[in-house]
Amino acid sequence: MYKVLKKTRVVVSLFFLVVITAAFMHFINSETSLFSQFLKLQFVPSLLGIFTGGAVVFGLLLLLTLFFGRVYCSALCPLGVFQDISTRVANLFKTKKQKRFSYDKPKKSRYIILGIIGLFFIGGITLPLAYLDPYSLWGRISNEIINRSYQLIQNGISYFFPDSIFYITLAHFAVGSFIFVFSLLVIIVLFSAFRGRLYCNTICPVGSFLGIISKFSAFQPVINKKTCTKCQLCVISCKSQCIDIKTQTVDTSRCVACMNCFAVCKNNSMTYSFTWKKNRESIDNKILPGQVKSLISKDNRATTQDTNIVSQDRRKVLIAMGLMGTALVTKAIKIGPAFSAKPKITGIAPPGAVSVEHLKQNCTACHACIAACPNNIIKPATLEYGIDGVLLPVLSFDHLFCSYECNECSKVCPNNAILPITLEEKKLTQVGKVHFFPKRCIVYTDGTACGACGEHCPTKAIKMIPFGDKGLYLPSVKSALCVGCGGCEYICPALPDKAMIVYALDVQGTAKKPPLEKQEKIKVDSFGF
Amino acid sequence: MCKYIVVMERRNFIKAAILGGLFGAVKLKGNDLFAGDKMSVVASNDLVAVMGGEPAQMYQKAIEAMGGISKFVKKGAKVVIKPNIGWDKSPELAATTNPQLVSAIIKDCLAAGASEVIVFDHTCDEWQACYKNSGIESAAKEAGAKVAFAHDEKYFKTVQLPKGVRLKEVKIHEAIVDCDAWINVPILKNHGGARMTISMKNFMGIVWDRRFWHANDLQQCIADCSTYEKMPVLNIVDAYRVMTQNGPKGKSIEDVQIAKALFMSTDIVAVDTAAVKFFSQFKEMSIEEVSHIGIAEKMNIGTTNIDKLKVEKIRIG
Repeated sequence: MYKVLKKTRVVVSLFFLVVITAAFMHFINSETSLFSQFLKLQFVPSLLGIFTGGAVVFGLLLLLTLFFGRVYCSALCPLGVFQDISTRVANLFKTKKQKRFSYDKPKKSRYIILGIIGLFFIGGITLPLAYLDPYSLWGRISNEIINRSYQLIQNGISYFFPDSIFYITLAHFAVGSFIFVFSLLVIIVLFSAFRGRLYCNTICPVGSFLGIISKFSAFQPVINKKTCTKCQLCVISCKSQCIDIKTQTVDTSRCVACMNCFAVCKNNSMTYSFTWKKNRESIDNKILPGQVKSLISKDNRATTQDTNIVSQDRRKVLIAMGLMGTALVTKAIKIGPAFSAKPKITGIAPPGAVSVEHLKQNCTACHACIAACPNNIIKPATLEYGIDGVLLPVLSFDHLFCSYECNECSKVCPNNAILPITLEEKKLTQVGKVHFFPKRCIVYTDGTACGACGEHCPTKAIKMIPFGDKGLYLPSVKSALCVGCGGCEYICPALPDKAMIVYALDVQGTAKKPPLEKQEKIKVDSFGF
Repeated sequence: MCKYIVVMERRNFIKAAILGGLFGAVKLKGNDLFAGDKMSVVASNDLVAVMGGEPAQMYQKAIEAMGGISKFVKKGAKVVIKPNIGWDKSPELAATTNPQLVSAIIKDCLAAGASEVIVFDHTCDEWQACYKNSGIESAAKEAGAKVAFAHDEKYFKTVQLPKGVRLKEVKIHEAIVDCDAWINVPILKNHGGARMTISMKNFMGIVWDRRFWHANDLQQCIADCSTYEKMPVLNIVDAYRVMTQNGPKGKSIEDVQIAKALFMSTDIVAVDTAAVKFFSQFKEMSIEEVSHIGIAEKMNIGTTNIDKLKVEKIRIG
């Protein structure tokens, strides 16, 4: 039975790893946004999107943990699954002895990390959570490393099939972001290669939080002390290193419910037991009548210890729930960050991000939007949003501009950091406003025709008006119509400074609907010559 | 007997000489005598204008009046058709060349024995959206053409333009550089910067760096690019739907007039002149204002004096 459960877990986990990674692949994303729907099932996205449609998923994930422990960590979390794969691959190079896991004491550091991240989160700063959230981490790995590698592969193939496979113009390469992501990947690979789920149980804030809940979960792995032969098969297969064979206990806060221990146990001493009906002692103490006396004193000690542990656990839960509750309340009443560098915002947020503040509070920099953008104009921010916005998605008009007929980024965001806006809404969403510098304009400086900006303007916020007596036309801007798509800025040929610059808006606005310029329908009968 | 033979020989000689002379004279006029088809007999026109039909129908009439496609596309030739696919707009919005027209031209080229037909444009909006939503990608593939990629610099080759004034070197799409013949199929539109975009302006889609043109006297660069030694064998201006305002991208269906016309010529300046004159009936536009036309004429690329040309005007229905 447990073998089936374990196999199911493996299948489900691989499925999630594949679909979540697929959501970050250029070639899949251009065909369908189906895969990005699975991103919404992740823990941190559902937490951040709790007031914008994530509540159901968030509730379900909490319930799942409350009933079955950290199933999320072993079945749904792509980074968790990736670590398991990494462990298995590393095992290929290990001796039989090296492959064995051993018990490891719980680390206090995880609660400190969780606490710090929680406090920041309450203060309206999501960035620390964003950096360590396993889903977002995997997102960044998928986008920066897997997707980029895929692009290189496609470009290689395009060399052999130039007519049918197109060359992908490589996306903006943010060196800092790449180094950050790559170093974390290396750390995680090393962690998992030598110590299994070490990341999940020392650093991962999601793991620590779910761990606190899973201490009280309905189903828990329990060792039957009566039948257990202390053969240690479970211990050496436990990638969470949470089975203590000396006390024959499982640290359920670190157990990721991978079911490996059940599957390996030779005499079914390790069971996934329902613990709510009867408390732990009563399971442990199915003692033979003859032994009762000798065990009474021990038992008492054990009970007081247990109550101690239980009350400590309760305290942790209360603290964690308190943190979460406060975070949600502050989120609900939309308190801004307690402290912020407040630099001049120069970064233009993707359409639907509402405001830079909203983006900072809700985005975990998973880079799903960056991977989804068909124009490759979203890049990880450096300091455009200030120090508390590093790696968040920011628009760059260096290589292209935001397509008028596109709202892909808002379709894929699982956190609703970019709200799911319709195409009609997007066409009126003002992410920035253009400013025209006439003295830099080619028409003005060179006295020759240009109009590249007006040509690209989708709303005709830029109109060409007669200029001078040489039959030239100079752009004129109606900024109420401007959506900040950056078409004009991108194409403007003026050097060294462009004559059209789109300036970011702290809070995204609504552009005026472009007026219909009705014209009489004319019927002509002559060729005109 | 002997004398007779000599006489016959002399007679044959004279015959042959006369015939040869005739041959030579005809050959100077048009080098298609050996194409073997009857169209070499049909008097071809310099410029054909058609009105009142559907895109494919107007194309058929025009190409007949030009002497048939095989006058321009030889058997086994690699042909490129260059429509305007610059924007992510549906055909109704008239920002891109009519897909039915593109389809008709492709089929005609293939029927004339073209070994392959390639369609491409270096788009302004995101290329996949343009190819798809203009309806040209599917129309071209259906008609049997290949659709080439043109979204990366790697697809372009450097070409010298010795006669260019401002534009002396330009990167042109490899399909054009490598083809045997190419057909320029622009759509007639108003243009905020260049005033009009027709055949010559359509060259902006065969090159990689358009920004250079905008920065270095756009109108001169447009004319300069038409000094390219490998000019299109035909320019076919789609004026079925005409964007008369907010061009070249357009804003809404309000910008479009249904004109149902088509212009065809080997002379790129002449066909643009004709198209502007036609356009002017919807919205006033002088040839002088579209200054790349005048510049091109001065550079001997073609003539604006269409009255001097052999023009055939065809009305359908």
